[in-house]
Amino acid sequence: MAQHYAPPKQGGMGQFIDSILLMVLVFICLLAPVYLKADHSAAPPEEAKEEATKVEATWQGLGQTPVQAQQWEKLGHTPETAKPIIDNRFDYAVDPMALIVTIAVIVGYFVFVFRISDREYREVVRERFGDGGN
Amino acid sequence: MSEATTAAGSASGQPTRIALLKVLGPVHVWALGVGIVLVGEFMGWNFSVGKGGAYGSLIACWVVGLLYTCVAMIDSEVTSTVAAAGGQYTQAKHIVGPLMAFNVGLYLVMAYTMLEAGDALVVGDLMKAVAGELGHADLDPRPFVVLSIALLAWLNYRGVFMTLTVNFVITAAAFLAIVILFVGVSPWEPAKVLLHKDLLVDLPYGWIGVIAAMQFAMWYYLGIEGTCQAAEEVRSAGRSIPLGTMSGMITLLIAASLTWYVAAGLMPWEYLGQAITPLYDAAKLTGSGTLQVILFVGTIFSAIASANGCINDASRAWFSMGRDRYLPTWFGAVHPRYRTPYRAILFLIPIAVVFAFQAPLDQVISFSILSGLLGYTFMSFNMMKFRKQWPLGSIKRGYVHPFHPLPAIVLLVLCIATYFATFLGYGATLVAVMAFYILASAWFVFHRYKFVRRGDQFTMPWPRPKGY
Amino acid sequence: MDAWDLLSYAAWAVSALLFIWMLADAWGVGRNFDEDFLLSSREGEE
Repeated sequence: MAQHYAPPKQGGMGQFIDSILLMVLVFICLLAPVYLKADHSAAPPEEAKEEATKVEATWQGLGQTPVQAQQWEKLGHTPETAKPIIDNRFDYAVDPMALIVTIAVIVGYFVFVFRISDREYREVVRERFGDGGN
Repeated sequence: MSEATTAAGSASGQPTRIALLKVLGPVHVWALGVGIVLVGEFMGWNFSVGKGGAYGSLIACWVVGLLYTCVAMIDSEVTSTVAAAGGQYTQAKHIVGPLMAFNVGLYLVMAYTMLEAGDALVVGDLMKAVAGELGHADLDPRPFVVLSIALLAWLNYRGVFMTLTVNFVITAAAFLAIVILFVGVSPWEPAKVLLHKDLLVDLPYGWIGVIAAMQFAMWYYLGIEGTCQAAEEVRSAGRSIPLGTMSGMITLLIAASLTWYVAAGLMPWEYLGQAITPLYDAAKLTGSGTLQVILFVGTIFSAIASANGCINDASRAWFSMGRDRYLPTWFGAVHPRYRTPYRAILFLIPIAVVFAFQAPLDQVISFSILSGLLGYTFMSFNMMKFRKQWPLGSIKRGYVHPFHPLPAIVLLVLCIATYFATFLGYGATLVAVMAFYILASAWFVFHRYKFVRRGDQFTMPWPRPKGY
Repeated sequence: MDAWDLLSYAAWAVSALLFIWMLADAWGVGRNFDEDFLLSSREGEE
């Protein structure tokens, strides 16, 4: 039989710190892209709204058919308020460098997790089923 | 103390052990799975229209539907065999290893808690919209956001049976609202209310937009895999979970098709792509006051059902991790009277409130989706390892899914496509989410794992895994 | 001050009450029951 690992007992303070720490980490990662303004946002940017009020817009100029224009109006929009929504387009140009870095991060993450897990798992199996094995 | 004594079922009359209550049937499993997801038809799915146009969203909806069918098949087999409160977390612990399990547990908690925050925000926004229409401008939505979280947490705290019975009723009502809306727009008379011919345009971004749309098309189904979390509280997990999950998946495929058809026939895609409550807007466009009220109620119900299911699932995952000491043991407690993981429920309330107040909705949704996606990637590898380490016949399985390893491979390919879809437009969020899980993993390996008992983590009565 | 304002205050109040009730109950349970008993559930046990 393999020797059993006896974990230390964790005190109340340690438990408290551990719970809070993870949550703080989540918030940092959740808010980082927001503050760095790195991504496209579902809401049109403020500048676009201001710009829209300056330029006179028409449904035709926005490429909307009469039926589409009628639905927009039923939803309470005028060409001026609809313009920033219609003009807010995604940019799907792929930056190869960014793509490579992203792939590397995801693949690296999974490789890391699976390798460490495997090492820890062998220890678990050894304790549970004894040495040897198949 | 009397309840606790009977609960523990001890022979000497002294309470020794406590456990979660086994009271749920297939209906509750359906309510948990569909309840979490159905809100996606009322809000969120339409961001996929913004990323790829209306047709793009429909194609993505079908492709992602295939992804989820694989998820449901794989999940049904593994969960009917590994029946424990942690769901995929417990599966990872038994099949892949501790660090993976810790990550899977976090995926679950994050995906559900953030979804819960998003649901509560929807309730607040709707209250504000209704108040505005009734002549009270600028109502502060926050008290309603907090109230929905507090009320549902309280319900969860008081017992799982009541929680999921309520969920069944309101989920069924919300589903009915979608069906009523579909009938209400007279789909048999094209061009009367529905204007597909005039509103549907070509793919605005071409085919790359269709791939990009897959990110939010996940919203049509995200959370159906949460049925596994109920495994420890279901009367016969081997039967109820596959039944509830598969019927839930069928419900969602129907709901998604109806939703797309109605919304695409009423709104220009540019509007639809950024709408907060698309189905409610669709009801407004029909000009029928009755439909508007029904869809208002449906949207509120679906959001509440979803938040309710999320509290249930997130707390089970958090509780299971506490029980194994992956997180502070304090969270591993079961309430002696209500038999719920009450400390986990309590702890996650303020977290959800802060998510709701501090972060923008699409950011929260993206974090939630990505956590789900990481979980599906894991499931693909998990399935292959599961069949390899315990070949068919070596352990008793509640359900065996056909065509292995095809579903696992299809799932992996679709996951990769969805990562790419997220990269298109939300690349920074993707990296931030990965950064979180990498840092959390490091924390677990270098600090937290020393508190974990090694052999005790393996609780299933299975033989030694092949190859170890 | 109209019905909506009242409703908002009511929502805050009810949320606070529910939260306090849960906290109080959790605290009471922690006092009345042995911690080892509360933590005694085991995974996958019938």
